[in-house]
Amino acid sequence: MRRYILSVVITATLFIIVGCKPKAEVPGQFVEADAEAQIYPDYKDIVVPPNIAPLNFIVRDSSATAYVAQLQGGGQELLAAAAEDGIVQMDSTQWRALLTATKSSNISVSIYAKRPDGWVRFKAYRISVAEEPIDAFLSYRLIEPGYELYRQLGIYQRNITNFDEVPVYENNREYADGENHCINCHNYRMGSTESMLFHVRANHGGTIIVQDGKAHKIQLKDSTIITSGVYPSWHPTENLVAFSTNKTGQAFHLYYPEKLEVMDEKSDLLLYDVTKNEVSHIIRTTDDMETFPCWAPDGRTLYYCSAKRNYLLNMSLPDSLVTQQLLLKYDSIRYNLLSIPFDPKTRSFGQPKLEVDAVAENKSISVPRLSPDGRYILYTKGDYGQFHIWHRSSDLWVKDLQTDSCYALTEANSPDVDSFHSWSSNSRWFVFSSRRMDGNYTRPFIAYFDKTGHAHKPFVLPQEDPEWNILQLKSYNVPELSRDAVRISEHDLRQCIYETEGENATYKPNPTAIVRLDGTTGASPRKAVDGTSGASPKKPE
Amino acid sequence: MSKKSIKQPQKPAQQKVAAASPKREKRLLPVLPIFFLFTWLWAAWYYGSVFYISREYSFWVADTRIMEFVLCQPYGILRYIGRAMLQLYHFPWLGGLLMALMLSAGSWLTGYCMRLRPSWRSIQYLPALVYMAVVTWHGLDIFYEARTGLIFGIPFVALLVLCIWGIIIRSFSRKPVPAFIGIPRDETPRQNRIQLLVIALCLAAIIGFDQWQRPYVRVICQLLDMEYRQDWAGIQKLARANAKMSNRPMACSYAIALVQTGQIAERLYDIRLDYDSLHINGMDWKHNNASCLYVPEGNYYGGFIESSQHACMEQMVMTGPTIRLLKLMVKCALMREEWELADKYLAVLRRVPFEGDFVKKYEPMVRRVDLVNAEPEMAMIRLTEPIHDSFENQYQQPLFMGYNLMLVEGRSQNALINSLCVCLYTKLMPQFVERLEPLVGTTPPSIIMDGIMLAENKNPGISKNFTGLNFRKPQLQTFLENMRPYMSDRAGHAYELFPRYKGYYPYYYFFGNLKATKKGYTSLSSSNSGVN
Repeated sequence: MRRYILSVVITATLFIIVGCKPKAEVPGQFVEADAEAQIYPDYKDIVVPPNIAPLNFIVRDSSATAYVAQLQGGGQELLAAAAEDGIVQMDSTQWRALLTATKSSNISVSIYAKRPDGWVRFKAYRISVAEEPIDAFLSYRLIEPGYELYRQLGIYQRNITNFDEVPVYENNREYADGENHCINCHNYRMGSTESMLFHVRANHGGTIIVQDGKAHKIQLKDSTIITSGVYPSWHPTENLVAFSTNKTGQAFHLYYPEKLEVMDEKSDLLLYDVTKNEVSHIIRTTDDMETFPCWAPDGRTLYYCSAKRNYLLNMSLPDSLVTQQLLLKYDSIRYNLLSIPFDPKTRSFGQPKLEVDAVAENKSISVPRLSPDGRYILYTKGDYGQFHIWHRSSDLWVKDLQTDSCYALTEANSPDVDSFHSWSSNSRWFVFSSRRMDGNYTRPFIAYFDKTGHAHKPFVLPQEDPEWNILQLKSYNVPELSRDAVRISEHDLRQCIYETEGENATYKPNPTAIVRLDGTTGASPRKAVDGTSGASPKKPE
Repeated sequence: MSKKSIKQPQKPAQQKVAAASPKREKRLLPVLPIFFLFTWLWAAWYYGSVFYISREYSFWVADTRIMEFVLCQPYGILRYIGRAMLQLYHFPWLGGLLMALMLSAGSWLTGYCMRLRPSWRSIQYLPALVYMAVVTWHGLDIFYEARTGLIFGIPFVALLVLCIWGIIIRSFSRKPVPAFIGIPRDETPRQNRIQLLVIALCLAAIIGFDQWQRPYVRVICQLLDMEYRQDWAGIQKLARANAKMSNRPMACSYAIALVQTGQIAERLYDIRLDYDSLHINGMDWKHNNASCLYVPEGNYYGGFIESSQHACMEQMVMTGPTIRLLKLMVKCALMREEWELADKYLAVLRRVPFEGDFVKKYEPMVRRVDLVNAEPEMAMIRLTEPIHDSFENQYQQPLFMGYNLMLVEGRSQNALINSLCVCLYTKLMPQFVERLEPLVGTTPPSIIMDGIMLAENKNPGISKNFTGLNFRKPQLQTFLENMRPYMSDRAGHAYELFPRYKGYYPYYYFFGNLKATKKGYTSLSSSNSGVN
């Protein structure tokens, strides 16, 4: 008897579930609509990699009660249906088959909507499938958009060929004052997770270096170093990391389209030798602020951004007022793009070279990233400052190192923020952060970068439930592509963060470092000056 | 099985009670239903406003992805269930009913599981009464850090455990189950009365403690409730009825109501503004004077939309989303014409039970700046928005005070009046005098007139520039003469003098808010902050 009742209940439940789900079949009769379907996110006329997860979307129509999406190409057909909510979710296996069949060609998407007076078919749109795949993994930090306090945050890795997301590391989920910490600036060496790092701030602070699946914590501290390591870049061949070291602050606008301004008071560049646990300056200056280092793929050039600041300051005022002074002139701080040659064998640096003179055109550059083929520098250009993730004027630009020409990636840019970017290892794709969806919450957008050096219309990272783009109350921060998954467990990272103090890196001056401590405001040089570098070495412990 | 047990012969004691039952039954009262009624009254009528605000400071949607910030915490599922139950407090009588049912059922099960004899049956009510006492003891803390899942979560867990325990006992025991709704026939009238006495005494103690040690909790919550309903008259009435009670959330609500009704320069000092300490504990992120309860709203109604949004986001980072923050952020997004952002927050709110009315009211305003500007509350706020951009960091906190102290150029007369009132509130007379220029030749509002007369000392002749001051001069002179004996110990006499000079600015100038005058303001800086 019980079994009978149970089977009736299960059957009824299944019947209800199946009954509620619309049938995915092309309607026999329909009329052609003049307009295109309104879909969210905008996946119309885009180029996608052949290994991307299904581009699920929402159809918006004020009167329709059911929808059918028909995707065709390469002799394959995929049908997906949606109820009144318009949420179209595609079968992963069929989607994969469709992408495989349409590689280097197009998918035609027709959408049918069931309105009170019958079915209509909207104008079809196209999705082009590129030949080249994108790196399969995307790491990002999920965090509320740009505010001062921090609580529950983590670095996550998403397999973008499907919808799997795993935490790389999450901070303390339950509040504990003695444990609360921030994590940021995750970074991989040339798209491989074999070498990775990220910073831990506040409690349990330090820089976590992961190599060969093992994590260790280091402290980049010295009286000559402004703070500790901030923006990192792994050297492609040597076991080195270039860091910027920044004294950063932020201020919140009262009545302005931009919400906040993050600015440096001072910054320098550091070189950290992972094997020897030694740190040295690359550039240490008081007038210039250097930041966002990035190695060329051959490891022989380091690109970075630099701004002059002393001309903005009244040098007669005390050091304690530097922040206030810079704050009043925040929109006059502008960064150029420079490079400095590096000899990996001798670990020596040459003389800096101006790569892009943005200041001359009253613009400012940040986040240079070299394409893995070494031909292009992708960077963000805005009206001022360096934290373009909060500047609506920010757009993506490239410099073609072969032709020495710079141009905007017009197809990829939007009127809102377009900033932090990461290349796929085949140089044909890049991911970047954009606030174009709502002006506040960054979402990762993927753009195809063709062989002629032009970007195509980008699309937002697909989600299993497309509505998640709206409902997710956190920003996707610092998207970083990688070919492989992170090789260390969250447990091991937690153990390293909580149970180790962090080994102090030995400061060892680099004789070829550029040191100019000529200003009266800013970093105070130590009294005992070590010949050429202006920094005194710490005794090895 | 159960039929068999009923047929079993009764024990002598039961027989004795049963024998006398017709006479005694008339004198027996149904204790549990009475307890249920009392609990319901407490949970809905007495403390309903506190639970209602707890719901506003909470957040629950069925979507577990959005609730991940709760589910990932220890016992996340129980917090999730607790938050779901709290949603019923959108209607305090309904939420109170659920709570009363849970507490009453828990009490009954406690008695059953502990196999309490009638003479010890009072004990069964103690866990529920202890819970009510703990809730009262915590006061504002029950929602301050949005740990609101515990409000229903704890009784739910207790009830669950008792249910399981009860089922186990029932599986092995044939004893009759004590009455749940009817007359407890196994009790003597004395036992019956003792139970009622214990319940009555405990409830009286709980309410007495609340009135004695936490009198501000219900008032603050009622004020916040009215603020969310834009009941400006109600706020003023309630605040004035509790004029001697002094705390910053109440002062802020009152000031908001006055600003919204254009009476800030007439009635601000009708309540005491000395700020007694509140029993409140945060996550140790340097809460100042329960600032989380009023800074986002204070900034919003002061015209500082960006800063309100900023404050909302900071709180959201610390506590996760709450209904109150999301609603305020919808309004901020509308005021800033960030339509997609407003859509986003509305989409989340649409999933929160019982928030349909809010969504229905504000959804049509998306992409309709004319509707935004026509909404009375928003139209009033528009009048005091800053004209020029600057940074929050340049002002003392809270911003709605700090900015108005430095105001150089205002959008309207309202902005000027707000600024003058803040100068007077902070007793910074030079700044007050500097801003009087636009009022020259007019009859200023009463508080400003009093301020001008007080400024006369250091600015001789200033009052000649305004009309209507002569009528108030004798009052000031009388006040100053009367106050002479008290001037040597102003802090000591402030409280006793308040009823006499309620609403009179010179009293505040000399006797009010003396702690703040010494300490100044503090910012919301925290060790858990940084550039993110």
